[in-house]
Amino acid sequence: MLTPSDLTPEDFALLGFTVKVAALATLAILPPGIALAWALARWNIPGKGLVETLVSLPLVLPPTAVGLLLLELLGRGTLASRLLDRLGIEVLFSAKAVVLATAVMSFPLLVRSARTAFEEIDPRLLGVARTLGHGPISVFARVALPLAWRGVTAGALLAFSRALGEFGATIMVAGNIPGRTQTLALAIFQRAELAHDGAALRLVAITVLLAFAAVGTTELLIRRRARRSA
Amino acid sequence: MIELAIRMPLDRFALRVEVQLTADAVAILGPSGSGKTSLLEAIAGLRRGAVGRIAIDGEVLLDTAAGTRLAPERRRIGYVPQDAALFPHLDVRGNVRFGVRGSDGERRFDEAIAMLELAPLLRRFPATLSGGERQRVALARALATAPRLLLLDEPLAALDLALRERIFPYLLRIRDQAGTRMLHVTHSVGEALALAREVLLLRDGEVAAQGAPGEVIEAGRLATIDPRATFDNLVSGPLSAADGPEATATLTLPDGTALHVPDGSGAHATFSIPAEDLLLAIHPLDGISARNVLAGRVSGIEPFGRDALVRVLAGGIEWRAKLTSAAVRDLDLSDGKPVWIALKTHALRRLGSPVV
Repeated sequence: MLTPSDLTPEDFALLGFTVKVAALATLAILPPGIALAWALARWNIPGKGLVETLVSLPLVLPPTAVGLLLLELLGRGTLASRLLDRLGIEVLFSAKAVVLATAVMSFPLLVRSARTAFEEIDPRLLGVARTLGHGPISVFARVALPLAWRGVTAGALLAFSRALGEFGATIMVAGNIPGRTQTLALAIFQRAELAHDGAALRLVAITVLLAFAAVGTTELLIRRRARRSA
Repeated sequence: MIELAIRMPLDRFALRVEVQLTADAVAILGPSGSGKTSLLEAIAGLRRGAVGRIAIDGEVLLDTAAGTRLAPERRRIGYVPQDAALFPHLDVRGNVRFGVRGSDGERRFDEAIAMLELAPLLRRFPATLSGGERQRVALARALATAPRLLLLDEPLAALDLALRERIFPYLLRIRDQAGTRMLHVTHSVGEALALAREVLLLRDGEVAAQGAPGEVIEAGRLATIDPRATFDNLVSGPLSAADGPEATATLTLPDGTALHVPDGSGAHATFSIPAEDLLLAIHPLDGISARNVLAGRVSGIEPFGRDALVRVLAGGIEWRAKLTSAAVRDLDLSDGKPVWIALKTHALRRLGSPVV
């Protein structure tokens, strides 16, 4: 059985960094993810199919392929890299790159879950809310979001869990630099490569606990919500 | 005055409605899928596809030619869709309060709660309410915004007969006490007659007839247009309370005949009885459990869908009894033939007290 005293300071640092990066990535994708999910659920915009495919791409492509695309996008000489240079922001092979890679990989999970939740709302409720004097933003905040709350939260926690374990895209854009860009997933790979099986297994145990915590939190939130609206 | 000149493509046909409505209570009748709900949604501003012109008392809500399209939240129109559509995450208070704002918002909230008698339900969530309670909450929610027009989509359709009876007085109250104009979709001719002062008949998205309820609800025609239409006989008159434990209350018909009724409270009342609940006999009735047997004469026979509506003058009013065509033939019914009408006391449903 694993106890906290078995963990080295390095293990704790890895855990802290991984959770922080996953949390930042999840927070970063919440506003655009919810907005996009709402737009896809409510509007029949031209090019909707294309947008849907693009959003879902990270789910079906090999993560390393997504990572390479990101690398190309931010590589020397591109528009994005020049803009970031101008702002003095260095992304590639930094912690920011880890956040970016995990955010991109987690995005579809949030959008799909939130979108389904928005689609399940009876459109008449939204219409009635409009006739009661509320504009589209107010209706979204006071009716749509509270009713889609479970799906959005479930999506955010799914995205967070996905971000915790992201490997392929991260290693492409951020590398596997201990103390700088190394997350739990990357560290497990490195320790296993070096045949430090015991040290790798300690990290595996941490990830199992994290997974339990994430799933457990989801369940708890959903159940508390169900009781309140019953 | 409500001016409507709306065109809107629907699935099977286009909605094309061009009318001016002056009455304070208008009923919209028509078969399922004739565009009634779409018309309400267009007026509320919930259909982007609607083009044309909508104006209430000269204030323009929609005028596509002039580029005017008021957002639904700026139209001040109350909309009560079918099955109430309450917000499931809010309690009754939250639902009714949802559209309340402004300096006299508190007063309007209190008034709506009082008018629909919702005070005991304020803390309840929609999932725990009965169908009738939900309808009342939806009505209060719309009323509390002080709308200049109330759109009701089959407000009583989801309710069983006993509940309809209970909601109906609230609708009359809204019309007469709150003075709120109403446009209401229904399949019940009785409801239209009792509530509306003007009727609009829709078929395939177009106005098939418009006018006073009596004129428009020419029964034979309505049934061919709306197979779901029901014809309810309405009886109004002064009441006499029951005088004895086994006696029932009576309502005095225009010719003085006493009609046994299930509820004698108040001085005056209107009862409705569906045309299919009247029994006709061509011989005097005897030894029958129905408390009411009225002698009369056939005054006309109209086709009503695949059946027939037989008009009978009895007790000083004209009744309509729905019979199968075979029954009309077997009884050899024709104009002027003497008949006896039997109706059970409890088939009579009390509508809200008529406003004096």
